[in-house]
Amino acid sequence: MAGLPATDDAYYRTAALVIEFRNVGKIYKSLLGNSVKAVEEFSLTVVDGEILGIAGPNGAGKTTLIAMMLGYLRPTAGAVEINGLPARQYVERNGIGYLSELIAINPKWRAETALVRFATLAGISRSEIRQRVGYVIDLLGLDEHRDKKVKALSKGNLQRLGLAQALLRDEQILVLDEPTHGLDPVWTQRFRDIVEELRRPDRTILIASHNLDELQRLADRVAIIDRGRLQRVVSTGYENTAPLAGARFRVTLASGHELIRAVFPQAEDAGRGEYDVTVRSIKDLNTALADLIGRGALVASVVPERSVLEQQFREAVGESQ
Amino acid sequence: MSRASSLARYALWQFRDFVFERGVAILILSFLWGYALIAPLRGAMGSQMSRASPIWPLMLQGASTLVSLSVLIALNGIISSDRKLGYYRFLFSKPVNPVLYYAQAFFVGLIGVVLSMLVLSSLMHTILPIFSIVNFLLYAALIYIAMGGIGFFVSAATRFDWVSLAVVWLGSRILRSLYGPKGDWRSKAVELLPPVHKLDEVANSLIGTGTAHATDVLWLLGYGALFFVLGLALLRWGSLAD
Repeated sequence: MAGLPATDDAYYRTAALVIEFRNVGKIYKSLLGNSVKAVEEFSLTVVDGEILGIAGPNGAGKTTLIAMMLGYLRPTAGAVEINGLPARQYVERNGIGYLSELIAINPKWRAETALVRFATLAGISRSEIRQRVGYVIDLLGLDEHRDKKVKALSKGNLQRLGLAQALLRDEQILVLDEPTHGLDPVWTQRFRDIVEELRRPDRTILIASHNLDELQRLADRVAIIDRGRLQRVVSTGYENTAPLAGARFRVTLASGHELIRAVFPQAEDAGRGEYDVTVRSIKDLNTALADLIGRGALVASVVPERSVLEQQFREAVGESQ
Repeated sequence: MSRASSLARYALWQFRDFVFERGVAILILSFLWGYALIAPLRGAMGSQMSRASPIWPLMLQGASTLVSLSVLIALNGIISSDRKLGYYRFLFSKPVNPVLYYAQAFFVGLIGVVLSMLVLSSLMHTILPIFSIVNFLLYAALIYIAMGGIGFFVSAATRFDWVSLAVVWLGSRILRSLYGPKGDWRSKAVELLPPVHKLDEVANSLIGTGTAHATDVLWLLGYGALFFVLGLALLRWGSLAD
């Protein structure tokens, strides 16, 4: 990942602000007078060039936040601004590349026709429409499906069509809600490559996902929300000096199994040459691994039991409950 | 390219949607109605049919009912369907103003209804030369604005627009017949309801003779236009999502 500085708070304070949630709240009220707080006192800023992940359990308020960001819902408290404009006003003037969690396109439309319609609405000139539609069809591998009706597309192809319409224009802001939902492993990897290619200093990308591994790989920071509240904002990078508070790694050895406990006295044998070890920091881990290799062991792989994000997510969601 | 011009280009897609999703249904309904009502009348009366004929009012009643049904078909779910089915998400992530988008859809529907009625009235005119195409189209356009304006508002306000509009329409007729002539506060209150009581009179005069009381026409147009604007205001200041 060649992203923004992951933990440099000063950077995020001074970088150009693109999206600002200012003390946002949303309460749904039923006709019977019952009310549900979907989002509460949510404040967050997203800067130029950033890929921000939004993670949270089901019903945490992710989709409500995105709906307010696109101006589809009005906050009951606070405000959402994009480039200094009220969110809806910004979208109406500039548009946003948006992939919703639910891909809702008229099932009677054909895939290519749907893209031509969206391109027309997006303001792409008549002469450029064929070219842009052809480009996203190639990018998302939809060529053999271009004449199919939307209702005939599989879940994965529909997801790719949704992504294709979001990429029709060279948008400054992209919002992707559960973007790999329904994609097979090949297209999940392809999607990650596409997002990396989309990364640009003047483009901001928001990705809401349940998939922490995906956010760990793609995002610079991840906002963890639960019960409508921002629990914490997590950097996805590892820092050499940052204490890991007893993080566990699985070390796989190709040879030198007898050496493992000389270096990691608490190592637990997980079978098939794999050992679970606990370290206090990345620096300690590297020192121990160097020692192990120096003694003649061959290390095949080192994998964290939980990513930094997963660890933080568990803590944040656990704390809020 | 300006947002207005791209939206204007999209009107062709909206018209295409109208033709396939609504226009065909209106034409089928019209031809069925024509076949079921006009053909037997024509057979019974032969070329003697005139405005003085006792079945002429039946013809007018049938024609006005057909216009009302066409308007219902044309406007059913014009806004609420996109919200119910979630289509608004991709449509309005583009640089598009929903107020202008749906206002345009409303006028595309007007053109669609008038064209459908042109097909129908041309056929009617062929069968019955006394049936005026122009008068019928004027009536169709008037009812589209009057009834359609309320339908547009209801579609902006609720998911169940077809049912809601039918309730408003029938409810107004019933309440007017109950309280309209009494002259008390209730009769004044029902004056605020949609002016459905004027439809029959306007249909008879406008389709039949090409004339109508200006106050009736203005009342119908004004009522529809007011609710159309209220519908636009709901789109502007309400939420697209539920």
